[in-house]
Parts: sequence; C-alpha cells; structure tokens
Amino acid sequence: MGGPFLLGEAFLLGLASGPACVASCGPVVVPSLLAEGAGWRLNARYLTSFLGTRFLGYLLFAAIAWELGVLVSPAPAARIWIYGGIHVLLGVTLLWYARSIGRSCTHACAGSGLVSIGRVGKRSVSGAAVLGLLTGVSLCPPFVAAGLRAAQLGSIAAALLFFAVFFVATTLWFVPFVGFGCIRRNVSVIFVARMAMVLVALYYLLAGIALLAGRRVYG
Amino acid sequence: MADAVCAGFAGKTSPRTWSRALLLTLPIALWSLFMAMRGLLQPDRSLQVASGVTAAFMIVLFFMMMKTSSTYRWRRWFFVALGVLFPIEFIHNVMVLRGSMGIPIEEMIAGRTPFCFLPIPLLILPAALTRTLVFPGSILPRGGMSGGGMAAMAGLWLAVTLVVGKGWCSYACFFGGIEEGMAALPKKAKWKKLDPRYRLLPWAVLLAMVLLSLALFEPAYCMWLCPFKAVSEYVAARNTVGLVQNGIFVVLFAALVIVLPLLTKKRTQCTFLCPFGAFQSIFNKTSVFDIKIDRTVCSPCVLCQKSCPTMSLSDESIKKGETLMSCMKCGACVDACPKGAAVWHIRGTQVAVKPERARLMFLYAAWAMAAMFGGSIITQGLATILQRVI
Repeated sequence: MGGPFLLGEAFLLGLASGPACVASCGPVVVPSLLAEGAGWRLNARYLTSFLGTRFLGYLLFAAIAWELGVLVSPAPAARIWIYGGIHVLLGVTLLWYARSIGRSCTHACAGSGLVSIGRVGKRSVSGAAVLGLLTGVSLCPPFVAAGLRAAQLGSIAAALLFFAVFFVATTLWFVPFVGFGCIRRNVSVIFVARMAMVLVALYYLLAGIALLAGRRVYG
Repeated sequence: MADAVCAGFAGKTSPRTWSRALLLTLPIALWSLFMAMRGLLQPDRSLQVASGVTAAFMIVLFFMMMKTSSTYRWRRWFFVALGVLFPIEFIHNVMVLRGSMGIPIEEMIAGRTPFCFLPIPLLILPAALTRTLVFPGSILPRGGMSGGGMAAMAGLWLAVTLVVGKGWCSYACFFGGIEEGMAALPKKAKWKKLDPRYRLLPWAVLLAMVLLSLALFEPAYCMWLCPFKAVSEYVAARNTVGLVQNGIFVVLFAALVIVLPLLTKKRTQCTFLCPFGAFQSIFNKTSVFDIKIDRTVCSPCVLCQKSCPTMSLSDESIKKGETLMSCMKCGACVDACPKGAAVWHIRGTQVAVKPERARLMFLYAAWAMAAMFGGSIITQGLATILQRVI
C-alpha cells in the first residue's frame, strides 16, 4: 500500500478513535489537569508533556511489540500482568501526584511550573509526564486497533510512522482541555480535583491488584 | 405584606387558624386521595389500608405545616418514613423474586434490575457519545424488572427538578430518610467542628465517577461506592473482589448513614458523598425557589448555619444573604431562625416580601411530588408490612 494512503488511514483511524482515547485517559487527565489549577499557557505545557510522553509510550510499546511480533495478542497471563502492573503504577502515581499538589507552591507562587512528583538527578519529574507515559503503554482499545494495523506493516519504520500519525490525530481531541485554564487557581476546583484523583487512584489500585491476584473484577 | 404584618419579625408568620389551615390543605388533600385511589380500589385489603393510611399521613403532615408555619419537622416525618419503608418494600420484593439481595452479574447485564435515579449523571456522557445507556437496567417495556421505569423515572426527575431544584433531595429521594432519622435521634451533636472543605467531596465523587463511568462503560458509583447497596441490591459476590465491593458498601452505609449522622446531627452521606446531590445542586440555579437571608433583620446568631443538615450555609453566604448551591430546601434554617431572617423566596422578587407565599408555592409543588412519588413507596412499604404481620 502506498505511503500517503497509509498515512491517511492512520490519521483517520486516530481521528475516529479520539473520543475513545479521551474517554480512556479522561480519569487520569481531567482531574490532574484541573488540580494543577494552571492558566492557559501552563495547561498547554501540561498537555504537551502528557501527550509527548504518551507518544513515547506508544512508540516504545510499538517498537518492542513489533520486534517480538506479539503486539496485540500477548499470552493472557502476560496481558494480565501488563494491565495489572500499569493499573497499580497509575494508582500510585495519581496518589503521589495528589499529595505533591498539596505540597507544591504552584498555586501560591505565580508563574511557577507544572507540579513535580519527584526528581531524577537535578531535574524534576512532572506528574503529567509520568501519567502520559503510563497511559501510553497501557493497552487501550484505540491503541490495540492501531497496533493491529501496524503489526501488518512490513518494517519497523512504517509501523512507527503509522503510530506517529495515529497519535497526532488522537491528540486533536485533547486540545479543548487547554480551556480548563479559564478556571485557574480556584481553590475549590483544585480541592475537588485532588479528591477525584484520590478516588480514581484507589479504583486503579484495586483493579490492578485484583488483576495481579488473578481475580476477575465483578462476580 | 399581610404575612409580615401579623408577625413579630419580618419573615416569621404566626400560626394560622384551623379553618384557614384546612382551606390551604384542601388541594393537597384532594391530590393525596387521588393518589390513594389506585390502592383503595384494589381487592387487596392490606393495600387498601396502606393507601388510606398514607393519604391521611400526607394530609395531616401538610395540614400541620400550614397550621404551624413550620416546615422542617413535619417534612422530616414523611422523609424518614420514606427512607425506612423503601428498603423494606424493596428487599421484600427482591427476596420474593430471587430469594437473595445479591444479584448475579448475568442478571444485571440482562437488565433485570430496577432503575435508580442516582446514576443519572453517570449515564449522560456515555449516552451522548455512544447512544448507549451504561446502567445495567433495561429500557425496553418487557426487558426485565425495570420495564419502562427508566423513562418514567428520568422524565419525572426532570420535570420535578426544573421546579424544585435540589428540593428533590428533601422531598423525593428515598435514600436520605434513614440518615435524617439517625441525625434526629441525639439531642446534641458530639462532633461540631467539621471541615467545611469536605462539603466539596460530592463534587469530587461526581467528577471521578463520571470519568470512570465513561472510561469503563459502567455505572462506576453503583459498582463501587453506593452505600445504599447495603439495603437494596448488590452484585452477588463470587470472589474476593466481590466481597471487597460489598464490604465497601456496608462500611460506607454504616459510617455515613448510621454513625456519622448520630455524631454530627447532619445528613453526612448527602453532604460528603452523594454525586447525584452534587449534580442536583446545578439545578438550584434553574429552580424558581430558593432561601434567602434577610440581612436587614439578621443578627449573626448562626442558628441557621447550625441547624442546616447539609452544611449549606457558611459565614460568607450568610453575609451575602443566601444559601450555598447545595441547599436542599428542607426548611430547617427558616424554622430555626428566631428573627425570621431566613425566608423562602421566589427568584426575581424582593427578599422578605411575602415569604410565606413563596413557601406555600414551593410546598404545593414539593408536596404534590412527595405524595405522588414518596407516597406510593410508603404505601407499598406499609402494605408489605401489613401482609407479613396480618
């Protein structure tokens, strides 16, 4: 299949899958973005950071999976470990993030950056980046759809390009979230968002532990 | 102005005469009897008795509201009766139908569960994006126990909500009565200092549950957080996760519906958890009725603040002469205010001018709904008890 057709297919697939991506990442993105209590510019930075590391997660997963040839159908046991592990990591990160927001001076000190949840060497790690990476490597339905198609391509370069275009198209659906900047530094909104993060984190932790323990959620 | 003239203070009205109170009760009496007709015409003796008792109960309570000009304490009798009798009738029904309060997940997916209003806010986004209802109840006429109840429930909710706003939570919700009853038991609160920030918690629950419901395509609140599963219907536990879910329901029910109301004299589940309540608060902005504080007669005794069962009055809101968005229009603050500064109000009119007329108009709407909706539940609950006892 020709290049332009392939790119067009990736773009349309991304565009069509966008709402599912937003729904899938919503419990992570919306509360954390609101909890930042930031303005338009900082929200754009948050989304750039989140989506950038999400893209990195996509590419990492695609590259490894292409090499292993098991992109979308890893063994059930492995899939459960991936799902469960990522759920637990998301839960822990969200809890840490919610705690860090309480300690951060982001909202008191005008003009500061995104909320940091730790340091690597001299560089602080933003919560948005970690959440982006974790959501990038999780097996959400649109990701699986793109993975299926990418797995059929002849080379790793084509697979990565397919993913890149797919990603750009899904990203368009996240742009409206920059609009949260209109409610910046609202103490009530930040409190509500932090508490929502804690609830979402507890859900991910519970679901992740249940998966790792080999239990089905519900019944 | 006649209301104010016969009162010692601006918004406080003196008790009415018997004849005037009876006259004002007449429309509600006719409506209550009309509502009772369905049961009275049934051959089932217990249903006949229950219908008659319920109609009398609703009429007497409304009459007392008219006679004494007090709202909260009379409404509370109705609300507690509704809260107590709903689980009795519901549990009896599911025990007869299934022999257990636990519903197997297959039954839920098949839509054999009655529709509940609590997940309404969780259904909107999935329905808007995918035209699919994620609530595990059927909307088809013969699709299970719920039948076409969902459409009726949603329609009724919308109509009522547009008029009374969050008054739904004080006159229609069949869950809040248990905690209101618990809160009424102690004479004084043991825990008086509650962090006012925590009244924002329902918004956090709403946000988290709406997002999770969209992501997981299920009513996350019903699956994980609803305390009233403990007294209605829960997913039958077949493994550890199921036990954890049911454990959460029981712990939340015990803490927020039983223990904390006893300690705080507040409706703690409504104040700190209920996502539907938070959602319903939005409609307080569309409702024509609200409660205002007349700043010209208010001495900041904060009795209204102390009496509010949902912490819907803050120092700042009193200074502004209004309640917070979470006000459930139960009337506790109006009854508690010794100077009549807390008054019922119709939007677009002057504050404290004919507040009793505003109260009457609100009560006619709210009590008509209560007699129709809560009245039928009370009747069914009473009939169930009568059938079992007699």
